[in-house]
Amino acid sequence: MSAHTPFDYYARREHAHDHPHGAPSSDDDEGPPSEYEVMSRAMQELLEAKGVVTAEEIRRRMETFEEDFPYRGSRVIARAWVDAEFRKRLLEDGKAACAEMGIDLEADRLIAVENTPDVHNVIVCTLCSCYPRALLGMPPTWYKSSNYRSRVVYEPRAVLREFGTVLPEHVTVRVHDSNADMRYVVIPMRPAGTEGWSEEALASIATRDTLVGVTVPRAE
Amino acid sequence: MSMGAGMQTRTARPSTYTPAPGHRFNVGDRVVVKRSFPPGHRRTPYYIRGKQGVIERICGAFPNPEELAYGFDGEPPKVLYRVRFPQKHVWPHYGGPAHDIIEMEIYEHWLEPAADTQQDI
Amino acid sequence: MSDKPINKGPHDMGGEPAGPIDPIDHGMKFWERQANALRSTLSAKKIVRVDELRRAAEDLGDLYHDLAYFERTTAALRTILLEKGLITEQELEAKMAEVRARFNVPKAVSKPARKAGHG
Repeated sequence: MSAHTPFDYYARREHAHDHPHGAPSSDDDEGPPSEYEVMSRAMQELLEAKGVVTAEEIRRRMETFEEDFPYRGSRVIARAWVDAEFRKRLLEDGKAACAEMGIDLEADRLIAVENTPDVHNVIVCTLCSCYPRALLGMPPTWYKSSNYRSRVVYEPRAVLREFGTVLPEHVTVRVHDSNADMRYVVIPMRPAGTEGWSEEALASIATRDTLVGVTVPRAE
Repeated sequence: MSMGAGMQTRTARPSTYTPAPGHRFNVGDRVVVKRSFPPGHRRTPYYIRGKQGVIERICGAFPNPEELAYGFDGEPPKVLYRVRFPQKHVWPHYGGPAHDIIEMEIYEHWLEPAADTQQDI
Repeated sequence: MSDKPINKGPHDMGGEPAGPIDPIDHGMKFWERQANALRSTLSAKKIVRVDELRRAAEDLGDLYHDLAYFERTTAALRTILLEKGLITEQELEAKMAEVRARFNVPKAVSKPARKAGHG
């Protein structure tokens, strides 16, 4: 667990974090807080004053999203790569399989979908931004963008090309619109050249984008 | 042992799925999404309404989000399915190969059985 | 006959023509991470339902496309908190004025232009 700088509830600017796995902090907001930032802080402070939430709860939740959630998905996929029986259980019931690894997905109901030489899976939520947050952390900005949400359902191959992923015609592209109660993770194909790798090394190449299906892992 | 959706004990095995007693459709059934455009909160995307697909799996029964959205409890739970559609049947000008597919979750009350004369999946 | 699809919400965008995707993850500002933690905490405590928040965002109409993601979620949370009587408009206005004063922010803050389709 990384060392924590003291939490400044009123800080407007985040520290320059290095996020090797999780999402980068965006520090491009040089100006004063926007109306919505003011609104969000005001709502939080009102709710704290009324005893609905505490600053500590919010702080802990931010930490969980930052320090815990983003690292889980890669570990689960690495386990599926090395353990065929675990992979089967993951495919049958994603939430139960994660629980085996001590990973509590909280309210998320997980369906794992596997890439094969004939099928490539890609995930979207066209209606909002449903995403397995308890497995992967916060969704990337592109996943929440209207351009991705609009286009990946009707031209997935063109969208994948924008991420540098080109699929042969014989491969079936299988798009999942995560529109109700289920959440999805892709089990990418384990790349050649990773024979004998530790789970930790495998997890490091099972990056977030490969688990959403816009890219494929590389053995670097 | 049957348990209500909200009644799992802490020792219960966590699962993606819930029971769906009395489910109307089975895996492999051909279904059509209702061609209906009511106002309000719906989790059936506009683009899939009226389209024909095949039941891919039964996810379980869940409180109806169309009611949860307005502060009601959404009970009794409604059966939720994953349905598979060929992309070429969803988008008139789909540019990819005929074998590309799209799948999503559709609530039972949005589905009807496909007539025999409707398109092959 | 009107071309406008009947009862199609601004959020229901699968299939709409749209532009190129910026494939870089630009992460989240501090206030956005905090806003997300607030939403998540309220939801876990069953004080608000994610379905309610979604509906409130969908009901933003034209504003939906003008706002960035966390602006939308903040506007939606405001709607639901007011609806449930957990806060009042008056309280919120007063607290917002207090927060602005703390950061020395004038009431009207012009926002930088945002590229369409990436919000």
